[in-house]
Amino acid sequence: MAKATLKNIFSKKNNTAELVKDMVAHLDANIRIEDENGKVLFSFGEAVYGYEFPVVLEDEIIGTVKDNKNEGGFIVEFLVVLLQKEQERKKLGSEVLNLYQEINLIFNFSDKLAQTIDATAIAEIALEEAIHVIESDYGVVALWDEENRVMKVEASRGDLFFDQQKINEELTLLRKIVLSGQSEIISDISLLKETGIILPEVQSVIFSALRVKHRIMGAIILASNQVDKYTAGSLKLLTTLALQSSSAIESSLLYERNIREAREREEAMRRIFEATEKFVPHQFLKSLGHEVITEVKLGDQVEKIVTVLFTDIRNYTSLSEQMTPEETFAFICLFNERMGPIIRENHGFINQYLGDSIMAIFPVNASDALQAAVAMQGEVGELNKVLEENNKAAIQIGIGMHTGPLIMGITGDFDRMDACTISDTVNTASRVESLTKHYKASILLSEASLNQIENKADFHLRNLGLVQLKGKHHSINVHECFSCDGQEQLNNKLNTLSIFNEGVTHYLGNAFEKANEAFKKVTEIDPDDRTARFFYNFSQQILDSGAHENKVGIVEMNEK
Amino acid sequence: MEQKLLIVDDEAHIRMLLEQTLEDLEDEGVEFFSAQNGEEALEIIQAENPQLVFLDVMMPKMNGMEVCRRVKKELKLDKVFIVLLTAKGQELDRQKGQEVGADLYMTKPFDPEMILNKAKEVLGL
Repeated sequence: MAKATLKNIFSKKNNTAELVKDMVAHLDANIRIEDENGKVLFSFGEAVYGYEFPVVLEDEIIGTVKDNKNEGGFIVEFLVVLLQKEQERKKLGSEVLNLYQEINLIFNFSDKLAQTIDATAIAEIALEEAIHVIESDYGVVALWDEENRVMKVEASRGDLFFDQQKINEELTLLRKIVLSGQSEIISDISLLKETGIILPEVQSVIFSALRVKHRIMGAIILASNQVDKYTAGSLKLLTTLALQSSSAIESSLLYERNIREAREREEAMRRIFEATEKFVPHQFLKSLGHEVITEVKLGDQVEKIVTVLFTDIRNYTSLSEQMTPEETFAFICLFNERMGPIIRENHGFINQYLGDSIMAIFPVNASDALQAAVAMQGEVGELNKVLEENNKAAIQIGIGMHTGPLIMGITGDFDRMDACTISDTVNTASRVESLTKHYKASILLSEASLNQIENKADFHLRNLGLVQLKGKHHSINVHECFSCDGQEQLNNKLNTLSIFNEGVTHYLGNAFEKANEAFKKVTEIDPDDRTARFFYNFSQQILDSGAHENKVGIVEMNEK
Repeated sequence: MEQKLLIVDDEAHIRMLLEQTLEDLEDEGVEFFSAQNGEEALEIIQAENPQLVFLDVMMPKMNGMEVCRRVKKELKLDKVFIVLLTAKGQELDRQKGQEVGADLYMTKPFDPEMILNKAKEVLGL
């Protein structure tokens, strides 16, 4: 702090010079006042002096009063009073300025903190500021991680004055300090030194807890190589900085926790969506123009031309009679598990499981459905191998499909909704599937499906003529796909294909005798062709009934 | 030429703080003046012609902006270096400060070190 000088009190804004002048006039003496360098600050009368009086302030000569009447003592006394007053003013002023600087510092500190949301960055700012205002050689901001029960050094300056390893050891003195929640100057650091956690050069340590209410978060610790470096003022400043940092760190930790929780919620939502997708296929939602199930609302619907495919386990009823309900369930699960992926691989999705039956939808084209059907029959062959190995009866499935318009939508009421399909296409597809039993065919498809297949050459197909489905007025043309038959049967069917086709043509032309002959020929060459046998028997029945003159070549279905 | 400095603020403690901050300059022979409102400031500027003025913006009886405008634009005393001081959080448009001809714009609470350095720089000390 600057000391008051004679120059100060003679400066223009004080009227010291005038007062001294008045005084001297009363004394009627020659007077000269000089500063410590002999510079004249005031003079009166002739420059003739005989006496000298030193001006002493706080044991220091700061000037001289010269006069010719030995009266200078009064003037010195007067000046000293003024000097003391000036000194007091300066002291007060400097204290106020110091306080103001602290306010300014804290103001700026809050400003900086307000711009930061990361705990480590806050620790850095706090430490930088602390070391700047409380001159120190070392500094550490340590945070206590309650969850993992470890001390974490968030920021440090200078070579770490602590032995890092010892910090983490259970119950060191340092941890006790940090977790004490106190703010102190450690005057006797021999205690710390004995524990070996502090460098030998360190002479002074000051620390302040970082805490919010009663929760201790950590501490800011500063250290210096100088003895008795820290004062009560340092402690006050450090405590203020620590207080502000604590709230900032607390906010940042809360923020981090919020972010983490938000992520966890997001993850949970994702898992829910994943789970719901297993019940309502994503393709179904996508068809409705939605990405996630939460967007779905009652009455959502879309109409599309799709291929509907049905599978059915032929001898399911007798099969299930031989099994307990648990075994039946396990068996159906095993079956569905093998079929589902094939449907998805061919761009279809399962709309519904109906007991032993699967209803799948292929929104792109019928070719996908037919390819899936062939692969499913192949998979049944694989499944049968496993069943036979376990001495269980082999199964057979029939697959039927039809292509046509379909409305997919969400129906139900506000509290119970479900994805549903409404369409005659579904009924027809189901009926086509039923036909497989009568024709003894593995895969049947309607003409509508066939028309949508561009790569017909990739499949082995034969026309089975017209059929009037139960409950339908119009007859439809059905085709058999035998690509999935065993090699021997496949070859036989290919060999007899032209005769078979002849038979169907005659049959459609009501030439039942010729048709009967053709199918007879096919069954003679290939006795295993059960479809040809069906047609042979059917035409024979018509011929036997003698009603063939009036009959048309349409197979009527009276059962489902 | 004798160097002069004027501190203008309606708050006594701010005047005192600025004086205290700039105390070192007094020892170097700079003469200090102070005013507590705009009108007084204008009078002193005209009478003493200081080289440097620290001028608070928010003041009764003519605010700092107006004082600055009159000094720079009407009296054309463009050799006076004017530092406008305003409270943080109520920063006025910097452009407005420039329009009235202020040489510098600082916020309160001010950084004493910065103020002293600036004053020394302007006065060439």
